[in-house]
Amino acid sequence: MKTPILAFTLSMIMCLGARAQLKWEQTTIELRPAPNDKQAIGHFKYENTGKTPIHFKSVHASCGCTTAQTQKEEVPPGDKGEITATFNIGDRTGSQVKTVTVETDEATNQKTVLTLKAEIPQQLEITPNFVFWKQGDKPDTKTINVKVGKDFTVKHIKVTSSTPDFEAKVEEAGKGEFKIDVKPQDTNKVVASMLTIQPEDSQKVFYATARITNAPQVQ
Amino acid sequence: MKSSILRQAVILALFALLPAAGEAIYFRDKISWRSAIAPSEMVTVEQARGLGDTVIWVDARPDEEFASDHVPGAILLNEDRWNELLPQFLAVWSPGKKVVVYCSSLSCNASREVVRRLRKEAQLSDVFVLEGGWEAWLKKNR
Repeated sequence: MKTPILAFTLSMIMCLGARAQLKWEQTTIELRPAPNDKQAIGHFKYENTGKTPIHFKSVHASCGCTTAQTQKEEVPPGDKGEITATFNIGDRTGSQVKTVTVETDEATNQKTVLTLKAEIPQQLEITPNFVFWKQGDKPDTKTINVKVGKDFTVKHIKVTSSTPDFEAKVEEAGKGEFKIDVKPQDTNKVVASMLTIQPEDSQKVFYATARITNAPQVQ
Repeated sequence: MKSSILRQAVILALFALLPAAGEAIYFRDKISWRSAIAPSEMVTVEQARGLGDTVIWVDARPDEEFASDHVPGAILLNEDRWNELLPQFLAVWSPGKKVVVYCSSLSCNASREVVRRLRKEAQLSDVFVLEGGWEAWLKKNR
């Protein structure tokens, strides 16, 4: 009675073995770009372990910020290659997960999803990066909190306002933390100011916005 | 005979469970590339239309797609140039406005990311993702 089970299992294993043609070295790559990197690039290496050529039917990325390139359209048996996924970081921060879907003409397993994970380092976390007062509001002080990223050391920050309508004062609020107190001169007129926040000994500049908005319309 | 068939069925089921268990272990910490957005932070095209003049449309797609076509009056705000574009968006925002962010199937996580950042970083509350994105808007308006 054990024979049918054994035969069935063996045939399943043989079928699976024959199907696995395009073998990926890894389908998930984790990258840690440097603070000023513009791109994060992942190389997904593969090998055709089958006995027939494989053709790429399509390779497309999950978002416009990522491009994927194949070195060739046909992969002969035993041949190796890679798909290069390039993630344009732009002004993105934190954990980013981008995928590339690869479609081949294999009889089975035609679609493979390649995952590119990137942890974009953030030198300063600014919360909120927008403070506002409604026209006619009391010109109270509002606070912007600045937290230094875990991989960075910032002892001082400098804050300047693009207009004299707002005053910005920096105060240290513990290790790697700062407070920026923002106060408008008055709230009579609609005005906006860009607050430029620059860590000491760094070329990188961060921004926050302070604004007096229109008073809500009375219906 | 019956017990033998049952035993074989159980053994086969166990065989089938092996790859499933392996996959569950392998993918346990694999996170989805889509940002989590609560259903209350999503709006349909009809709901967005119903907001009338209080709505600010935000286009989270790349510059080229925005330049090609966009919702009339929409403001460009994408993560490629976030630091430059955010002040431009904040200059037109005012209290009481509802913000509806869209992207396309080519950049389908972008609107969720923009909504997440506007809520977290700028601390704006009435910010929503447009269900179906640019394609849904096109379907209802052209």
